[in-house]
Amino acid sequence: MSEIIDVLQSDFLGQFLNPRRRLFWGYLLSAIIIALLWLNLVKKINVRHAFNTIFDPSVLLSKSSRADMICFLINRVFIIICRPVLVTQIFIATAIYHFLHFQSSVPIGLFETTPVLISTLLFTLCFFLIDDLSRFGLHYALHRIPALWEFHKFHHSAETLTPLTVTRTHPVEAILFTFRSAIIQGSVIAVFLFLFGQQLSLFTILGVNIFVVLFHGLGSNLRHSHISVSYPETVENFLISPAQHHLHHSSQKEHFDKNFGVTLSIWDKMAGSFQYSSEQKLTFGIGSETHEYTRTIAHMYMLPFKKVFNMRKKNFYPK
Amino acid sequence: MKYFIGGTVFITSILTNVAFASEVYGPYPITLKDYQGEETNSVSYSGQVGRQLLHNSLKRAISSGAEMNVTKAYFNGSDSDLTLLDPVSSANFKVDVTNINDVSKTNLAGKAYKGTINGWPGAMTGKEVLESMIERAAQTENGYDAKHGYDYAQLVSKFAMGAVFYHQACDNYLDEKLDADNKPNNKPYNDGAYYTGKEHSWDEGFGYWGAAAHGATMSARVNYDIAKKKDMASADANGDGVVNLKSEMNYAHAYYASAYDKGGVTDYYNTITKAFIDGRQIITDADGDALSDSARTDLKAKARVICSNWEKVIAESVFKYAGSVYSDLEKLKANPGDEKLMRIHAKHWGELKGFALSLHTSGQNLGELGTRIDRLIGLGPVVNGSAVTGVDGGGNYFEMGDVDADKYMVHMLKLQKLMEDEFGVSAKNNDKLAGISNISEILGSGDSAEND
Repeated sequence: MSEIIDVLQSDFLGQFLNPRRRLFWGYLLSAIIIALLWLNLVKKINVRHAFNTIFDPSVLLSKSSRADMICFLINRVFIIICRPVLVTQIFIATAIYHFLHFQSSVPIGLFETTPVLISTLLFTLCFFLIDDLSRFGLHYALHRIPALWEFHKFHHSAETLTPLTVTRTHPVEAILFTFRSAIIQGSVIAVFLFLFGQQLSLFTILGVNIFVVLFHGLGSNLRHSHISVSYPETVENFLISPAQHHLHHSSQKEHFDKNFGVTLSIWDKMAGSFQYSSEQKLTFGIGSETHEYTRTIAHMYMLPFKKVFNMRKKNFYPK
Repeated sequence: MKYFIGGTVFITSILTNVAFASEVYGPYPITLKDYQGEETNSVSYSGQVGRQLLHNSLKRAISSGAEMNVTKAYFNGSDSDLTLLDPVSSANFKVDVTNINDVSKTNLAGKAYKGTINGWPGAMTGKEVLESMIERAAQTENGYDAKHGYDYAQLVSKFAMGAVFYHQACDNYLDEKLDADNKPNNKPYNDGAYYTGKEHSWDEGFGYWGAAAHGATMSARVNYDIAKKKDMASADANGDGVVNLKSEMNYAHAYYASAYDKGGVTDYYNTITKAFIDGRQIITDADGDALSDSARTDLKAKARVICSNWEKVIAESVFKYAGSVYSDLEKLKANPGDEKLMRIHAKHWGELKGFALSLHTSGQNLGELGTRIDRLIGLGPVVNGSAVTGVDGGGNYFEMGDVDADKYMVHMLKLQKLMEDEFGVSAKNNDKLAGISNISEILGSGDSAEND
């Protein structure tokens, strides 16, 4: 039993100690600093008041935020239990790497003589772009495919947003996210290694992918917060601001299915789902369905299955 | 004051010597009860050193195109002088042996594995496989069969290290010979011996391992250089101006262990050599009495440490040469028919195959794992799109044409994965999946319950 507790403890704490994770304490700290600067310098709020705004207990300790905390713990247990059977990117990368040996269109090591700096730059950039695009794609599907939307409502049922809301994820979503990560990242790794050889690497800061450090270090935690940091429109045309993601969480109809992207806005621009951030006060959640979904924690986890089952029943037995 | 300083120096030197004594194999006192002779050191493994010298010389003889009567003499032993071909003295590395029989009149054939080796054509025993390889080598130029891609010098050398040394140590001396009713410690090893049954069994295991007696006092790099005959100063432990091949040289798998250890990730050489030293001390402490149950338990635990790590050394070699063969095929795809590349490919394949076959000779049946290893490597390398798939009754190899080199390359990747998963190798030289694991480590685990 004590071993189980040790494992759980180390996994829970690990989320805050691992610089590859959004909730790494360093990224939370940088988000606080950015929020302070935003409120003080842009919104002209004095520092003390800004502090109180950031640590507003009505947000951080709301019913929705408390549900976030419980879901965080439950989901970590789920991940620990399922980890042995979840497909890994190493598995996918190895399988695809093997497969590439059998095709004859592209020889192995075609670009092996490329200088390491260039191959690393290309790989880091392509990896980021493809990863960001696939995140957009899966997120788009989670909203547009009715059965998946039932599970994604778990996340959107949050009425207040805190950095912990990022872990407010239904296990079915978590499995999909894991598959996306394994398949996309595994594929890109395998293809690039096949083409560029074993010296391939990523640009890193202190051993972490540079784009991960930049994305999280520059305030990704504010995407789920009550501090609506926005960018000038010229920048929002390219990079999604926290305020644009708040719009995505808005329960107002005119904001539905907007800003699916994670880092880059270009995918939303191409899909026609782009919207600039707004100054208006937003309410979060899934509108009238919020109360039904968040009645109890058990409800949150089980209701999507019931909804999808009924959906199937309706399709099979239309009235 | 001078007495105080002198006393301190004296005590320090004793303590230092005591510390080093535990890292050197021998000398160990005579413990045989009622021994009346003049010997003072019970350590003896000259027979095993003789076999190390036979092995080294056999490899050299094959690769230099010696006649079969010469190569067979190194395999079967000879009453006539047997010239030591390796290591031989050079300007910077002087050895004390020129005739192997001066060390020990012995042979390799009598100690070779007698179980069937499935991974080589012909369903022969380990001894028969070696004999067959030696005979076929004599029909080639310098041991290289270009048609089938067989480098017999490498095949014989790497398999003999397993089929004789590893097999005898781990399937005999460190196995059944440690039992109570087999070569007991309260009796001489054989009539007239000055060492007990257990003392000599253990010594023979150490001799087959091939480490210098003082090897554990030195770094992996130094031990490697000694085996390569590049560091006489470190080899010459007793400072007599010559490398005493009976005790001051590194051979066989001990050499390979030092090669992997110098990468800084593993410590096979010291782990195994120190386990030998510790085990020998357990036997010495019994002072000529039969081993107690607890001493035997401790000794067998040391034997397990030795053999499990020894197996890993062999698996590391399989891993390394799988990577080499992969690279060779990659280059051959870009330069088909290049004879120099094909020669290198045959060399690496011979090393791969020899080490892989050795994994079968420990006395432990590898079962399905052994079959997978054999099938991934096959019976012959890919040579111009063909590979040996068997041998007919007349001793002629037959081949399968249209062999996919790409598929073979993937086999090498799978083989490396197998060595890692099943044997726990960690030095992993020539890792062809290093890129995937390195990048995955940077990216971290993808399992995530995080929305974006």
